[in-house]
Amino acid sequence: MDQIISSLQQFWQYTGFANVAWQNLAMIAIGIAFITVAIIKEWEPLLLIPIGFGMIIGNIPMFPGLNIGIYENGSVLNTLYQGVKMGWYPPLIFLGIGAMTDFSALISQPRLILIGAAAQMGIFGAYLLAMAFGFAPNEAGAIGIIGGADGPTAIFLSSKLAPDLMGAIAVSAYSYMALVPVIQRPIMLALTTKKERLIRMPNPRAVSQKEKIIFPVIGFLITAFIVPSGLPLLGMLFFGNLLKESGVTRRLAETARGPLVDVVTTLIGLTVGASTQADKFLTGKSLLIFGLGLLSFVIATTTGVLFVKLFNLFLKEGRKINPLIGNAGVSAVPDSARVSEVVGREFDKNNHLLMHAMGPNVAGVIGSAVAAGILLSFLG
Amino acid sequence: MRVKRIFTTLAVLLACTAAHAQNVIDLIISEVLAEPDSTGIVDDFGGRSGWIEIFNKSQGTVNLGGCYLTDDRNNLRKSLIPKTDSRAQLGPRQVMLFYATGNGDMGTFYTNFQIRPGSTIYLVSNDGRTIVDSIAVPANLPKGMSVSKFAHDNKQMVFETAAEPTDPSPRVLNGSQNVESNAQKMARTDPHGFILTVVAVSVVFSALAILWFFFWLLFERPAKKKAQPKKAPVAKLAAGKAPDAEVAAAIAMAFDMEQGGDTYAAIAMALHLYLSEAVHDNESFVITIQPAKASGWNNKAQTFRKLPR
Repeated sequence: MDQIISSLQQFWQYTGFANVAWQNLAMIAIGIAFITVAIIKEWEPLLLIPIGFGMIIGNIPMFPGLNIGIYENGSVLNTLYQGVKMGWYPPLIFLGIGAMTDFSALISQPRLILIGAAAQMGIFGAYLLAMAFGFAPNEAGAIGIIGGADGPTAIFLSSKLAPDLMGAIAVSAYSYMALVPVIQRPIMLALTTKKERLIRMPNPRAVSQKEKIIFPVIGFLITAFIVPSGLPLLGMLFFGNLLKESGVTRRLAETARGPLVDVVTTLIGLTVGASTQADKFLTGKSLLIFGLGLLSFVIATTTGVLFVKLFNLFLKEGRKINPLIGNAGVSAVPDSARVSEVVGREFDKNNHLLMHAMGPNVAGVIGSAVAAGILLSFLG
Repeated sequence: MRVKRIFTTLAVLLACTAAHAQNVIDLIISEVLAEPDSTGIVDDFGGRSGWIEIFNKSQGTVNLGGCYLTDDRNNLRKSLIPKTDSRAQLGPRQVMLFYATGNGDMGTFYTNFQIRPGSTIYLVSNDGRTIVDSIAVPANLPKGMSVSKFAHDNKQMVFETAAEPTDPSPRVLNGSQNVESNAQKMARTDPHGFILTVVAVSVVFSALAILWFFFWLLFERPAKKKAQPKKAPVAKLAAGKAPDAEVAAAIAMAFDMEQGGDTYAAIAMALHLYLSEAVHDNESFVITIQPAKASGWNNKAQTFRKLPR
């Protein structure tokens, strides 16, 4: 009998109940909140559900040594986490993004590329703020990239510059991407007049297949020669797009934008979530990163909208750009472009801005990859 | 078929060359000691001899197995580094030491020649022909002193042989190891981050502006010049004749054969709307079918309601 009681007592020590700390419960609650928001509000469910459930997995209290935790070498979770840690997953996601993105909006109106560049100020604004808060330059660079509104890029860069902060940076980037409609709308309204919101842009011209095939090749050569350190992201993005547009690699393109990107998105979300173990995640630094991440989104949206207003000063009547597409310069594809469409139609039901906003939106993807490459060159 | 074979063979050969090039050519002889003094390091057998230090300047592991060390230009296969020893794997930016005892049978890390002042030491690739690197041992090299190569550029790993004999530093990377990281350098030179911000913003804008310029030059400008309204091809049914679903379907199929699935879908939608009287064209019994060379985006744009300006 004593033996049984002793065994039960020993087993009790193995359970999560005996090892639980309030921090674990807090993180599990955040994970449940993510899942709830994803299901009820449908905010980025493809990201928030894996991340939220990963948070729950990563914060089940246990004692170390069982070789099952994400930070224990050789465990299943640790093996899957290598894709995040070593930066394999982000380029694969970029391959899928390239294979699903239609760059026509950008090719037909190349001037919109510059809005994508302006919105990258969010990255560098957050970098300056992080430096002011005492972060080391490499950490500040990794935090700044949250402003690119691009989860894979944020993971890629933070895995190179500040692996210790990767969990907080990735969760912050994906959370704010899910909150793009909430964050951007008030800023767009505050910075534009009613007259500006009613600007109608001319229909984009038709883009030939030849242009669409040449775009990834020329685009890659130019950006990669300027910023070779962005090669993994830029290379995969443009390669995926060439698969899509070449017309002769349909199977490859379908795999890249379908099963491949689904598998990688699931794994990246789950492992990033699981990496937020309370003891490593719930720190003052993480809270600060969340604050800076929010500011970076605000700065990116603000600079995007203001840049369009500035640009309009030099454009003739009839060629002016609706500043409501300025927010789309951040690369949260296609959410920020969708925000432009929704806000635009609030003021003119027949003014469809989606196709115009997709231009700066996909330019933002290229811009954030270029910015990540620059930060890696200087700080890596 | 023949051309395909030639291409495949060339690709395989190219891949083999690349694999070779990525490995052994990244090795250099970083230091050589010809004659030890009484304070020099001892080998595994307790003896003192000259030694050769090999450095891997690449960022990947290199296998030295199968390579050769020699002091004779006419006998490049003098001392073989055994292929079978897994210890012959040299990690990135690491060094490996070979004792020049004159007896290669002592183990993997022993050569079957001794180093004579005035000789030249060669590292030869595993093909036994290609000299990967060499270092001349000065004839007047003092006992207990070594000849070394130093990197004058730690990023590019460009090495130069030191003009003067150096104190030996076996199994240690030559030169100062206190090289600060990029981040440390930025923290020192740009403590507030303003310089990096200005440079980075300029580069992002420049990169995307160049992209803009290229596409404006290549496509937008010529497209604007060419842009002239073209009359859309019109398929007309005889006036007064009722629309025949079979005829319409035949037209759709003919277009589909010529233009692919997208056209089929567009025609199907147009027919559906037309036959269900959801739309009415300019004239009765006229269906306008315009082949879309435009992208998907443009197609969507065409479905939007156009208001008079």
